[in-house]
Amino acid sequence: MAYIELDVLNNREAPAIGIDLGTTNSLAATWRDGRPEVLTPDEKSKHYSAIVPSVIHFPEDEGAGPDVGYEARDQAIVDPKHTIFSVKRFMGRGLADAESDLSRLPYRATENERGLIQFEMHGRQYSPQELSAMILMRVRDFACEALGGLEVTRAVITVPAYFDDTQRQATRDAARLAGIDVLRIINEPTAASLAYGLDQKEAATVAVYDLGGGTFDVSLLAIEDGTFQVLATAGDTHLGGDDFDRALVELVHEELGPQIGDDALKDPGFQQAVRLAAEKCKIGLTHDPESHLHLVVPDLDLNWRRDVTREEFEARIAPLIERTLNACRQTLSDAKLAATDVDEVVLVGGSTRVPAVRKRVEEFFGRTPHTELNPDEVVALGAAVQAHILTGGTRDMLLMDVTPLSLGIETMGGAVAKVIERNSRIPCQATDGFTTYADNQTGIDFNIVQGERELASDCRSLGRFKLSGIPPLPAGMARIAVKFHIDADGLLTVTAKEESTGETAKIEVQPMHGLTDGEVEEMLESSYKNAREDFDKRRVADLKTEIGVMLQATERTLPKGRPALDVETVEDIEAALAAARAATQGDELKPIQAARDELERATLPLAAALMDSVAKKALTGKSLKDV
Amino acid sequence: MTSNVCPSCGAALETPLGCGQCNSLFEPPGDLSPYLVLGIEPSAGVDAKDLRSRLLRFSRIVHPDFYGADEAQRALAEGNTARLNEAYGILSDDFARVDWIVKHLGGPSEADERQMPQAFLMEVLEWNEALEEARETPAGTALPDSLEALEATWNEERATTLASAIAKLTPFPDPGASALTDVRKSLNAVRYLDRALRELEALRLARAAAH
Repeated sequence: MAYIELDVLNNREAPAIGIDLGTTNSLAATWRDGRPEVLTPDEKSKHYSAIVPSVIHFPEDEGAGPDVGYEARDQAIVDPKHTIFSVKRFMGRGLADAESDLSRLPYRATENERGLIQFEMHGRQYSPQELSAMILMRVRDFACEALGGLEVTRAVITVPAYFDDTQRQATRDAARLAGIDVLRIINEPTAASLAYGLDQKEAATVAVYDLGGGTFDVSLLAIEDGTFQVLATAGDTHLGGDDFDRALVELVHEELGPQIGDDALKDPGFQQAVRLAAEKCKIGLTHDPESHLHLVVPDLDLNWRRDVTREEFEARIAPLIERTLNACRQTLSDAKLAATDVDEVVLVGGSTRVPAVRKRVEEFFGRTPHTELNPDEVVALGAAVQAHILTGGTRDMLLMDVTPLSLGIETMGGAVAKVIERNSRIPCQATDGFTTYADNQTGIDFNIVQGERELASDCRSLGRFKLSGIPPLPAGMARIAVKFHIDADGLLTVTAKEESTGETAKIEVQPMHGLTDGEVEEMLESSYKNAREDFDKRRVADLKTEIGVMLQATERTLPKGRPALDVETVEDIEAALAAARAATQGDELKPIQAARDELERATLPLAAALMDSVAKKALTGKSLKDV
Repeated sequence: MTSNVCPSCGAALETPLGCGQCNSLFEPPGDLSPYLVLGIEPSAGVDAKDLRSRLLRFSRIVHPDFYGADEAQRALAEGNTARLNEAYGILSDDFARVDWIVKHLGGPSEADERQMPQAFLMEVLEWNEALEEARETPAGTALPDSLEALEATWNEERATTLASAIAKLTPFPDPGASALTDVRKSLNAVRYLDRALRELEALRLARAAAH
């Protein structure tokens, strides 16, 4: 009760937070005392760090629930088949898109009828959205802890700028599943520019080069008078530090493969061990000109060590760095700027610690990049600034972002009719007119695509939608205006109207690789149900333990107390003992709870009798089960 | 339009989308011209710097970032910002602006004037050949100087064509005037130039990537 009173005293509203939901690591920040600040939980907590590794482990014992973060990452080698990494790579993707990633992973994935990837863990299916929700929940819990127990509900969540509509929708759905009210989805490089640009006084053109664990983005911005205007963005949602690790994994495969064979290479435990050794070697090469790959696998009787020079590593990752520079060229071309027009270059993402990356970016733009802020934290910090703006904290700053990919509709011939060009400022809208090609046609099917290629089949289908409820008219007479709106989150909505009659046509969009609203609600309900079940399971286990202790105590003390009790009371106790023993055979919460309460009631006279006896003094203040 | 005043606070309105004084948002009619949205006098030529400063200033009034608390206000802000961005997109780009004026004054559409002069088409054919030749040279080599020179002439031609189109539309001709047909023809020529420039840029990026 005292706790509730304290709560009333502390009843201030939790601030909105910014969350960087990364491929490798996730973390939260908030606005405090005029600055954004990373949220680090209490020093006393197990891991004194704001970072939550984006890893989930599913232990065999279901009741315990999945581990998220450091605890999960520690299980990677021990239980590789149930430890999920890099789930961000699968957000809004189908099996076919993810094939190359999946072939390297030790766990299985399937696809549902609408192309949504499912990971099976101990007989249950999990979508990337649900897995990301678990990470978000952990990050939120850390944030709550760091804020002294305030209940955080609102957040700005970041995504790679180059994420398409399905990937953004998937991120939003993950947040909904985590019970987070998403104030805004913002682009990672844009967020980073906010964190860096807080003190930017003069107008400047800024390039943000963001190389994370699994994704790459580059954005060009014009910053003036507190307005952060994105001029162009480009990237690769499949390029990051993971790929640098993979370059070293390939080295291991090349050299060790002939010795240990293909089967050993594909062993899940071995794969994770190699991955971790590669990561360690990469980090070593960031600080030292030479490092090594070290693998100890007792099962294979293997203790392998290989020195790697920075030069050798850089030669292997050079093509990957070149790909990032191609994206830089593309943004400059789109913004109609030359590299020399860029005033400031900002490095974001842990992978920009790699010296070769810094060197090449510096050469490309001809200026020393900014690295003042921690590249792992800068995105979350920027998201916190945006959360501050969105909750009415300031009107001095404004982000004006763009859509990274063109949006179009598949034409009859399979080509793409562009409706919104890439790098259009968002929010944006466009209206396109359509008509019927047959008499009395009342419906039209559309395929909405996103991408820059000429053919619809080379672009990503965001979903098909059916326009129905068109009034029956001769062919070509109906005039249907379809309006596309991309909102400030970069998410698309489509509405349609038949103009000659003014009737609103109905649109049903079937998301590709995504969740319908109904599915999200269903998952939310079942997660409540699961949480309820988990709670019940734990309660049953606790009660059984408690009954066990009570049984023992009663059996031990009954002979001593019997002389002081009447016959009915003894019979009552014995009946309660039998009922309690019987109840613990089952797993139903209610009968177990009832049996425990009954046992307590029936043994009260026994406890009282014992109190009155010589033992009274010793027993004062103790309950029966403690005897 | 500058005589319009805010119904909430009485301040003069720069844009019909919202009030910079009291931050009220308004729902403007659907067929608002981009000139009205940006609060400038309609004319074929525009002051790019002034236009940009208006975009930034008006974004500060209508952007949904500032209307998070109220669902209806946020939806209105979404729509108004989309319209502001659309209007700026039309007026800040010479081609898009001239195209809008021709359509608005009842001039011919792109498809109505598809016929291009024979001489011009021959020229386009030469451009395509030059691009095709460049595509076939080895990936590691630089683009031929002749193509770089050609690009300069395309850019120059594009600029002069658009400038003369803007001159023909200053002041605005009467609706249906023959000047509109001339301007439409110019715009179609610019489309050819833009395609050539785009293809050359794509070629350049592909070269850099392969290098």
